[in-house]
Amino acid sequence: MSQSLEAYLILSALLFGIGTFGFLARRNAIAMLMAIELMLNAVNLAAVAFGAFTPALQVHAALIALIVMAVAAAEATVGLAIVIAIYRNRRTPLVDEYASMRE
Amino acid sequence: MHFATEPTVGSGGQLDQLLVIALLALPLAGFALTALVGRRLYERAWVIAVSAVVLTWLAGMYLVYRTLIENAFGETGLRFTLYEWIAVGGFEVSVNFTVDALAAAVLIVVCTVGMLVHVYSIGYMAHDPGRWRFFAYLNLFMFSMLLLVVAANLLLLFVAWELVGLSSYLLIGFWYRRRSAALAAKKAFLVNRVGDFGFALGIMAIWTTVGTLNFSEVFEFLPAALGAGQIEQWHMAGIALLLFTGAVGKSAQFPLHVWLPDAMEGPTPVSALIHAATMVNAGVYFVARANPIFAQAPEAMLVVAAIGIFTAILAASIAFTQRDIKRVLAYSTLSQLGYMFAALGVGAFTAAIFHLITHGFFKGLLFLGSGSVIHAVHDEQDMNRMGGLWRKIPITHATMLIGAIAIAGIPPLAGFWSKDEILAESFKFGFWWVWAIGVVVAVMTAFYMFRLMGKTFYGKSNVDPAVEPKIHESPRSMTVPLILLAIPSVLLGMALGLPIGDGALHHWLEPVFHEAQEVLHLPHEPIALFGIDGVLLLVGATAGALGLALGIYFFGFFGRGEKRATVERLTDRLRPLYNAAYQKWWFDHLNDLIFVRFGGVVARALWWFDVRIVDGAVNGIGAVTQGAGRGIRHIQTGRVQNYALGIAAGLLVIAVTYLFLVAR
Amino acid sequence: MALPPTVPFLDWAWDDLIFLVLAGVMLAGALFVVIGRDIIRSGLAMIVAFAALAGIYVLLGAVIVAAAQVLIYIGAISVLILFAIMLTQTKSGPGALVFHRQWWAGGLAAMGIVLLMVIAVINTDWPGKVGERLWSATGAIALLLFSDGLYVFTLQVIALLLTAAVVGGVFLAKREEAPDPGEPRPSTLERLRRPVDVTPPEQP
Repeated sequence: MSQSLEAYLILSALLFGIGTFGFLARRNAIAMLMAIELMLNAVNLAAVAFGAFTPALQVHAALIALIVMAVAAAEATVGLAIVIAIYRNRRTPLVDEYASMRE
Repeated sequence: MHFATEPTVGSGGQLDQLLVIALLALPLAGFALTALVGRRLYERAWVIAVSAVVLTWLAGMYLVYRTLIENAFGETGLRFTLYEWIAVGGFEVSVNFTVDALAAAVLIVVCTVGMLVHVYSIGYMAHDPGRWRFFAYLNLFMFSMLLLVVAANLLLLFVAWELVGLSSYLLIGFWYRRRSAALAAKKAFLVNRVGDFGFALGIMAIWTTVGTLNFSEVFEFLPAALGAGQIEQWHMAGIALLLFTGAVGKSAQFPLHVWLPDAMEGPTPVSALIHAATMVNAGVYFVARANPIFAQAPEAMLVVAAIGIFTAILAASIAFTQRDIKRVLAYSTLSQLGYMFAALGVGAFTAAIFHLITHGFFKGLLFLGSGSVIHAVHDEQDMNRMGGLWRKIPITHATMLIGAIAIAGIPPLAGFWSKDEILAESFKFGFWWVWAIGVVVAVMTAFYMFRLMGKTFYGKSNVDPAVEPKIHESPRSMTVPLILLAIPSVLLGMALGLPIGDGALHHWLEPVFHEAQEVLHLPHEPIALFGIDGVLLLVGATAGALGLALGIYFFGFFGRGEKRATVERLTDRLRPLYNAAYQKWWFDHLNDLIFVRFGGVVARALWWFDVRIVDGAVNGIGAVTQGAGRGIRHIQTGRVQNYALGIAAGLLVIAVTYLFLVAR
Repeated sequence: MALPPTVPFLDWAWDDLIFLVLAGVMLAGALFVVIGRDIIRSGLAMIVAFAALAGIYVLLGAVIVAAAQVLIYIGAISVLILFAIMLTQTKSGPGALVFHRQWWAGGLAAMGIVLLMVIAVINTDWPGKVGERLWSATGAIALLLFSDGLYVFTLQVIALLLTAAVVGGVFLAKREEAPDPGEPRPSTLERLRRPVDVTPPEQP
C-alpha cells in the first residue's frame, strides 16, 4: 500500500476534508486557522506524493512543498495577528460576534 | 419662394397669385400681431385686426371680380401650388389653392360679412377687457375660413376645417370664466369632432381608392373609376356619406346639431360670423364642391336631402318656443342650413349656393341686430322682457325688420328668390316630399320670425323698469354694418337670381355643376313663368305671407302688441307639442343619457381595469422585486463561514456538473 | 538485529505497516483538532498530526521536506498558534458551543469534496513506484532556488511576502494607545521602568 500513489492521495483528500469541515464548522477563530493549516498540509502531502512517484519531479515537488510552507507561515502570522486585534475589540474569539458587515 | 404654376389657362398672373396669398397671410399676420401686442393697445386693440380684414376684403373682392366678372381664369379657375408640403413615399400633398366660381361666390359672403362683423365688434366689445383676444381669434378664424375656401386638396381643406373648429371653440368660450360658455365650447368641439372623424375616414377612403387628394384629380379619377367598374357603387356612396358626415358636424345637421344653440354663449358678433354666415356654411360649400362624387351616388344624395329637410322642420319647430332671442336665431340658422342641404340633396346645387349667399347676409344682419338689441337693453336676452323697442332703437328695428322679411321669403327681398328656387327645383326634380315639407317650413319660418319681432319690438314694454330709461341706440360702428347688410338683403336676390333660373349666379356656377347635372339627368327645361314655375313661385310667396300674417296676428306689429291670452290658450291646448319643442325634442337628454352617463359607466370600468390590473401588474413586479430582495438579503449574514460554505457547495456543484454531465 | 522481511503474523511489508500507523495517527490528530472542545488540546493534537505527517514525508523519500515540516510547522506555526490561543482565552464551559448551527452542512460539503477527489483518484491510472529517498537533495534544491533554476523569482517574492507578513503581523497586533491629552507623554525609558499596565482597556 505504501507503494501506491492512490493511498497517499486518498490520505491527502481525507486530511483536506477534515480541514474543510473544521473550517466550516468551528466557532473559534483560531480553530478555523488550525483547520486551514491542516488543509495546507494536505496539499503539501499531495505534492510530495506526486513527486515521489515521478522521479523527474521529485526535487521540484519538494521545493513546492517548501514554498507552500513558507506561505502558510506568513498567512498564519497575519491571520493570528488579526484575530488578536479583533479579540481586543470584541473580547471574544468566536466568529459569531464578528458579523457586523451583515444585512 | 417661387410659385409653381400649372401650365393651364387658369393659372392667372403673378398678381392674382399674390392676392390669394395675401388673402391668407393678412388675417394670419393680424392674428399673430394682435396676439403679441394687442393687450398693450387697450382700446385700440382692434386696429391691427380690422385693418387686416379690410385689406383682406379688398383682395378678396378683387379676386371675385377677376373670377366672376372678368372670367379671367376660365372654367377651371385660378390654380397654383405654393410649395410641396408632404412627400413621403407615395404620399404627396402640396399646398395648392384654387379660386373658381364656387370659391368666389362663397368668398363674397365670407369677406364681406367678415369685415362687417369686425367693424361691428369695435363697438360691441368696446367695454370688454379681453377684446384684444377677441380680435386675435376673429382674425384667426378669418384665416382658417379663407384657407378652407381656397384649398385645392382634401388634406389642406381638412386642416382648415379643424382650424375653423378650433377658432369656433376659442370664440364660443371667449368668456371662459362663465361655466356655461366653457361647456358650450367643449360641446361644440366634441360634436364637431364626431363629424370630423367621419370626414377623415372619407378622406382616407379616397386616398386608398385613387391615390391622390387634389380636388381636380379626385373629381376626375373617382367617377372614372366607378365608370370603369373598378369600384362598387356602395364604395362610392360610402365615401360620399363619410364626407357628408363631416358636413353634418360642421353645419350642425341632425343628429350633430346640438352644439349650435349652445354656441350662442359666445358674443353676438361670433354668432353672426361663425354660426350664421361662414363656418356653418363650410359643410354646404364642401358638399357643393364635391358634387362630382355625390352625383355618382344618388343614394347618398337622398340621405343628404332627407337629413337636410328633416333638420329644417325640426329646428323650425323648436324655434317656435324659445325665449332667448339668440336661440331663436340659432334654430333659424339650423333650419335654413337644412334647406341648403335639401337643395344639395335633390341636385339643386346652384340654388343651395344662392341661398347660402343670401342667408349669410340676412342672417348676419339679424344676428348683429339682435346684438344691438341686447346691447340696448343691457344684456337682457329673454324676449319676454323686451317689447316696445321700435320707437327707442329705430335703426336697429328697421334693419331687423328688413332681415325678418327677407328670411320670411317675401318678394322682392333676397330670401324669396333663393328659397323659392330651392322649393321649385325640389318639386321639378321629383322630390315632392321635400317640396311639401319645405313649404311648411317656410310658413313656420315666417311665423317664428315675426313672433320674434313682435315680442322684441312691438306692443308694450316688458323691460325691467330699472333699465328702461337707459335704452339707447347703438353707436355708429354697430349700426353702419347693420345698414350695410340690409342693402344686399334687399337687393342681392334680384341681382344674382334674375332672370329666374338664368341669373348671374347661374351663369357663374354653371361650369362647376353642369357635369353633375348631366350625370343626374336633371331636367333642363326653360322656365315657364306662366306654367308650373309661376304656380310654384306663387305658392312660395303665399307661404311666406301666411306665416308673416299669422305672426303679426298673434304677436303684434308696431303699436299693437302680443295677444297674450290667445297665445296662452293655444299653448295650453297644444301643451305636449309645446313641451316637446321647448325641450328640443329631448335630444340633448338622449345624448346625455347615452354618452355621458353610459359613457361614464364604461369609463369607470376601464379606469378600474387600469388601476387594478394594469397598475397592479406593474406594482406587482415592483412588489415581487422588493420581496425577493427582502428574502435574499438574509444571505448576507456577515459571517465568513457561511460564505465559505457557499463557496464549498458551489465548488461541489460545478465539479459534479462538469465531471458527470459535461465531460462524459 | 535485522528486521524480518515482512511483518510477523500479518505478512505485510514493514513500510506498509509504518504507513498505516502514521496515517492513522495523523488522521486521528486531525480529527481531534477539528472536534475537540478544549482549544489547547486541539492545538496539541495538531502538533501530533504534523509530526506524523513528517514521518510520512520520510516514507515518501522527501527528507528535506520532513525536516522543514518539523522545523516550520511544529517549531514555528504551532507555537504561534498556541501563543494566540493563550492571548484569546475564553471560558469554554459546557455552555459554549463548539460548532455552528451549520456544522452538518459543512460536514456534507466536506464529505462531498472528499468523495469527489477519491473518485477522481481511483478512476485514474497512476504510475508505479516510490522513488528513492533523497537524503541530500539540498544541493539540487539550492540550484533550483538560487542558480538559474526556475524558482529564483519565486524566492524573491517569498522573501517579500515573509517580510510583509512580519511587518503586518506586528502592526496589526500592536496595542492601541488611548490618547491622554492632559498628561505629558512619558518617555520610553520611563515606561520601561514603570510596571506594565495589563488591565484591559475600557470597552469601546
